[in-house]
Amino acid sequence: MAQSAKPITSPVPQSLYPTLAFLLLVFGLIVTASFFIYAATASKKNRSLAKELVTGAVASVFLGFGSLFLLLSTGVYV
Amino acid sequence: MGLGTKMKVDLCIIFVSIALLSSPVFSDLIISKVDRRIDLTSHIVRITSTIKVENEGNEPVSDFVVAFPDKQSKHLAFLSANHNEGKGKKKSHGASLPVKSVQSEGMPKSLTSYSISLLKKLVKGESLTLEVLAVFAHFLKPFPEEVSQGDFQLVVFQDSAYYLSPYAVRVQTVIVKLPDARVESYTKLENSKAQGSEIKYGPYENQSPFSYSPIVVHFEYNKPYAVAQKLVREIEISHWGNVQITEHYNLVHGGAVLKGEFSRLDHQMTSHTKGASAFSRLLAKLPPRAHSVYFRDEIGNISTSNLRSDLKKTELEIEPRYPLLGGWKTFFTFGYGLPLKDYLFEAEEKRFVDISFGSPIDELVVDELVVKVVLPEGSSDLSVSVPFSVEQLEETKLSHLDISGRPVVVLRKTNAVPEHNQHFQVYYKFNCLSLLREPLMLISGFFFLFVACIAYSHADFSISKSSASYLAKLQWDEVLSIIQQLENIINRCLTIHEKLEASLSELSRTGNVQACKAARKAADSLLKELSKELKPLLTTLQSSPQAAQIFPKVEELVAKERELQERLITKHSIVVDCYEKKVSGREIENRVAPHQQKITALKHEVDDLLEYMDEI
Repeated sequence: MAQSAKPITSPVPQSLYPTLAFLLLVFGLIVTASFFIYAATASKKNRSLAKELVTGAVASVFLGFGSLFLLLSTGVYV
Repeated sequence: MGLGTKMKVDLCIIFVSIALLSSPVFSDLIISKVDRRIDLTSHIVRITSTIKVENEGNEPVSDFVVAFPDKQSKHLAFLSANHNEGKGKKKSHGASLPVKSVQSEGMPKSLTSYSISLLKKLVKGESLTLEVLAVFAHFLKPFPEEVSQGDFQLVVFQDSAYYLSPYAVRVQTVIVKLPDARVESYTKLENSKAQGSEIKYGPYENQSPFSYSPIVVHFEYNKPYAVAQKLVREIEISHWGNVQITEHYNLVHGGAVLKGEFSRLDHQMTSHTKGASAFSRLLAKLPPRAHSVYFRDEIGNISTSNLRSDLKKTELEIEPRYPLLGGWKTFFTFGYGLPLKDYLFEAEEKRFVDISFGSPIDELVVDELVVKVVLPEGSSDLSVSVPFSVEQLEETKLSHLDISGRPVVVLRKTNAVPEHNQHFQVYYKFNCLSLLREPLMLISGFFFLFVACIAYSHADFSISKSSASYLAKLQWDEVLSIIQQLENIINRCLTIHEKLEASLSELSRTGNVQACKAARKAADSLLKELSKELKPLLTTLQSSPQAAQIFPKVEELVAKERELQERLITKHSIVVDCYEKKVSGREIENRVAPHQQKITALKHEVDDLLEYMDEI
């Protein structure tokens, strides 16, 4: 073994995984809800595609990281 | 083997030995003393030889050759040699010396020889002590080969009373250590005696090279004769903080085969006194801080297991579904997670895994051991360093959230014994950005879902584009969109009204008439713009036949809003006027009162109408 070997740890402390999963997923689901409310209530002509895409992108970033940490905290190490 | 051929081979050995005696290759060295301890307490046979070597020739010698007959060498699983410096109890073991298989010229064909490279050359007259450990698997042969459930298991061990060596040996002894004192028989030579669970041969003096005197020990062996025909260990590295180890065992009882039928009742009642060769428990010594341990087979979880853990170790006691009798097989899997920081390190821009090679189960022979190290996706430049020879290949494995698959280093070793439980290293390069692959996969997955929703809600799925109902629907959509825009405008008007009201209350507080006037001006222009926007919407709505029913309501809403607006503006002007003329507060209230009543009523009406519109 090399002398200068330093141990590698996970980029985020493992004890934070459940909390992170919960917070990110809750926020992601709120943004998702607003996305679908907008899609369902605004009439076809008035909807702006950009707004829909941006809401979708924000929601998917939060849901993506949230589900990643959910997987990690439940023991599915991806 | 017929007697004739055996004699031929023996004669051959003798001739070769005689030939060798005259050759200078081996005769330079002399073994002045050798003590061998043969440990038969486990089915994995360990022979430790403490050899004192002297150089009597003129040439310095750098290699020492140990030889095993073919009968033994095919069972040889592990061979290591150490310099043994110091005497008595103060023995110090240096690093193990390099050992390599050699095919020396002039050696008998039936011998396999290994050459040990000495640390420094042995010059004339000097001596040194070596400690050679040879570990054999499948070397204890059950005899009889079949026993019934109640019988004890007897095994046979064969070796030579003399140390088989290409060098002459001056003094030698052999001690055979047995599991207990129950010995069926052993070869009695001169100077041999059994004492408790030990049998001692020797000392024998002045034996020529390649001396051989067979000994056979037949004794009772009732410990687990556990052999894994195949073991696949999968070590999966996740940079998110875990090393997951999964081990698949194909276990067999390698001892005497069960004869007749198995009686569970007899086994339950007499397993402590008779037929103890059956085993039902195995102990696995897992590393400390192992977590999420499981034990299962094809059917599912096996609940008969115990886990004990403390700071230094984790012990898993596993009990397969049925006791294993001679020749019986079982299959099971167990797995555990380990913290990443104990096993993954970084040095010189490369990361490496440093983890133990063999099975954690006690005293287990593995016929075929396959170790797979699954590295995270995006690892490159793999290299492996294992302290003994293994077969090595690479493959890829598709696991959670992978695109191209994870690189896997596969190491294959036959005849693995607990001595192979040494740490090995797998080096690889890894870019930290590759860590974001998995979250990006998830994010893009969710994003595609949203895009699909957007596409679905925007797409038009009607088949007949000219039918009346379809056209009606289109028109109705248009009406809805106009109504929404209308509502939007009215709402904006209402906020402007609120602002006006706010400016009035601000006026009553500070008495700043100029600020109030400015607010009024801004509100006026905004309201004008909004009413301009409102006009075209109303005309389209009027022309649309679909809106015929709602149009009166819409008109009413617009009219009420306009009235509300006018009233509010009148009220505003009156108040501002009064302030300028410095009329008393009470007077202002009196003047405003009728307007105020109307405004409150109108506000209610407008709100009701807006609610009605929302419900369309």
